[in-house]
This record gives sequence, structure tokens and C-alpha cells, in this order.
Amino acid sequence: MFDFFRKYSLPIIVFVGLLVALITYSLNLSRSHQANMLERGVNGTLAPMQQQATRSGGFFGRIWHDYIALVNLKQENSRLTGEIKQLNSALAAAGEALRENERLARLLDLRKTIKEPTVAAMVIGEDVTPWFRSLTLDRGSESGIREGMPVLAADGVVGQTVKVTANSSRVLLLTDHASGIAAMIQRSRARGVVKGRRDNLCSLEFAMRGEDVQVGDQVVSSGIGGVFAKGLPIGEVTMVKKGEYGIFQTVTIRPTVSTAHLEEVLVVLRAPRD
Amino acid sequence: MTGFFKGATLVLLLILLQTSVLPLYLSTPYKPDLLLILMVFLALRAPVSTSFPAAYALGLLKDCVSGLYLGLNAFSFLIVYLVLKAVSDRLYVQNSLLLVFTVSLSTLATMLINAVLLSIFSEAGGIVSSLLTAMVPHLLMNAFVASLVAVFPEFSRVRTVK
Repeated sequence: MFDFFRKYSLPIIVFVGLLVALITYSLNLSRSHQANMLERGVNGTLAPMQQQATRSGGFFGRIWHDYIALVNLKQENSRLTGEIKQLNSALAAAGEALRENERLARLLDLRKTIKEPTVAAMVIGEDVTPWFRSLTLDRGSESGIREGMPVLAADGVVGQTVKVTANSSRVLLLTDHASGIAAMIQRSRARGVVKGRRDNLCSLEFAMRGEDVQVGDQVVSSGIGGVFAKGLPIGEVTMVKKGEYGIFQTVTIRPTVSTAHLEEVLVVLRAPRD
Repeated sequence: MTGFFKGATLVLLLILLQTSVLPLYLSTPYKPDLLLILMVFLALRAPVSTSFPAAYALGLLKDCVSGLYLGLNAFSFLIVYLVLKAVSDRLYVQNSLLLVFTVSLSTLATMLINAVLLSIFSEAGGIVSSLLTAMVPHLLMNAFVASLVAVFPEFSRVRTVK
């Protein structure tokens, strides 16, 4: 008997092994969704190791992604930084174009209200001294500009042209001491001459003491003198002072146009009266 | 001839800087007078044959880009130049403090001469008040710019008489 097993040991082991495998398989067919003891043991033991192995795999993956695969990061970063700069410049230029468009649209609206021909000009320079108030425009006699022509902005009167050359002209601002514009109070029709003062202000000279002038009144051109058309906005009355004596009152005006920030103006090609 | 072109280029740059660039960044009372500073520098350092016509030309140039009255600054520049030239031989002109001091005095002098001339000959009444208002910031700004001139290497170069 022992010799029989010894002689056929291999086929017997193979047969028994196959039988055990078959029985194990057949016994587990009905519980294929549940883990048996062996599976639980194996899987339970393997799980922590698999976890570590997976983490290690993530670590190597990170090394790959964060370092080895990103050798061109510096170049890409430089390229993207350059692109951001370009986009920022484009954005700033677009914003500037938008604001310029708004200003020009307002100037165009003003142009439509003026009957005489006009020339749009750009401010290219300022007076070099703080006590004279003048601007330099990029248009001159070649564009039809002559001395003494009115210069307007979208908000109102800027001044009048002086010292015109072929391709440039200077504007004597209404805030200059040498400037004088015939004007009137829009509400009461009180008349006077708007003269320049210090601190970018003006005063209404020769306004009679008895005339009705109040703070907040709008000052417009009176049309007298032939330079400016009637009714153009000049400024707003900010102070009225009547002394005990004298025939005139002191009226301070804040111009409607901020001459410090002017960029485009309209020159009205109206021939000045000699 | 090269010197003339260098000078003309410098003056052109100063004019452009003063009329078109600086106004974008500085408010009106703080405009420096670059032409006046150049005139003072020339009065202290350059020979009469160059500096005398240059002082008058700089004044005329300033009149072309400022105000209505051609000849106003030309006259005041010339007066200030003559006074500076009369004393420049007795001064240590390489000293940067001296330049700041002379520029400050020259600023005051030109403003005073301009105020007198404008009050007498022009119809710009009330301009004296504007001059007085602008005087202190203008003076400080000119002194500041004059102090910067000393930074340039040309300033410390000693000129020898040929």
C-alpha cells in the first residue's frame, strides 16, 4: 500500500490537488460575491502594503510631473509673463482708446451745434511759466486758423488763438490775465467781461453793483465783440462780493473747462472782426 | 560747429521736456525753468562770446513758448546774465551750492523784472498776484533742478583757457 502511494505519488498529488481546486471552486460558486476566509486574510494583509505602494507610486508620479516633466517650465513662464505684459498693454491701450473715443464723441456733438466750420486740434504743449496761461495746438494757418479765433472744448469756452504759425498755434486761455471775453449771467442777463485770474479762476469785470448775480449762476458768452458766439458756457459764479462803495461788484467764476486736462479742442473758423 | 549743434540739441530737448513732457507729470505751479538754469550755467561757465548771444537767444526762445510778449524774457535774461557775468570771475563756479544759489537768485530777479515790465507796459493787470503765488514753488523747483545739474560730469569739468 505504501509502495503503491510511493510509486504513484505524483499522479495522486496532482489528482488530489485538482480535486481540491475543483471542490474549492465549486464550493465558492454560490458565494462568489462574498470574500471567504482566505480572501479576507490575503486581502487584509495586502491592503496596507498596497496602500504604501500606491503612495509610493504617487510620489514617483509627482516627481515625474513636478520635476522631470517640467523642464520647460521656466521658458513657459517667461513666455506667459510676456503674454501677460502684452495683454496688459493692449488693455491699457484699449481703455485709452475708449476714453479718447468718448472725448471725441463729445467734441463731435459740440461740432454739430456750431454753424461755422471748425477744426479739431490736439494740445501738444503748455506754457513754460506758471503765470502765463496758454496751450500749443497741432494745427495752424495751413488748417485755416487765424489769430483771434475762438477755441472750444466739449464743456465750453477754452480761449482764443494767438501767434499762429503754419502748423501750430497757441491758445490764450480764458484764465490768462491778458484774456478778456464778453459775457453775461445766463439767468439775469447781467453783462460784463470775463478776465483771467490766478489759481485757474476768472472774474467777471465791469458787472454793475446793482445787477443780479448770485453764487451758482451760469456765465455764458454774450456774443458782443464778435469772437465768441452767443450762449457758449464759460463758467459758474463761485463768489459775489459787493463793497460799500464803488459802482462794480466783484464776481469770481470757476471755468467749466478744466484747462489742466485738455487734450483735444475745436477751433471755430470764424474770421475775427478787425 | 559741433559745439553749436550739441548746444542746439540740448536746448531743443529742454524745450520739449518743458513744454510737452513735464506738464504731464507736474502741476502748473511746479514747472521748472530749464532755460533759465541753462542760462545761469552758461553765465557762470561759458565765455562771453558764446554765453552772451546764448542768453538772449534762450530768453527769446522762452518768449516764443510762453505768454504773449516777445522780448520780455529775452530782456530779463540779458539783465540777469550781465550781472552774473560781472561777478562770475570772482566765484568758485565748480561749487554745486553756488549754482543752486545763483539759480534761485536769478529766478527771483527774472520774476521781479518781468513783474515790473508787465505792470508798466502790458494790459495784464493782476499778473503780479499770479507771480507772487507761483514764486515759492517755482523757486524751489528751480533750485531742486539746479542741484541735479551738479550730478552731470560736465559740471565738475574745469575749463581751461585756450
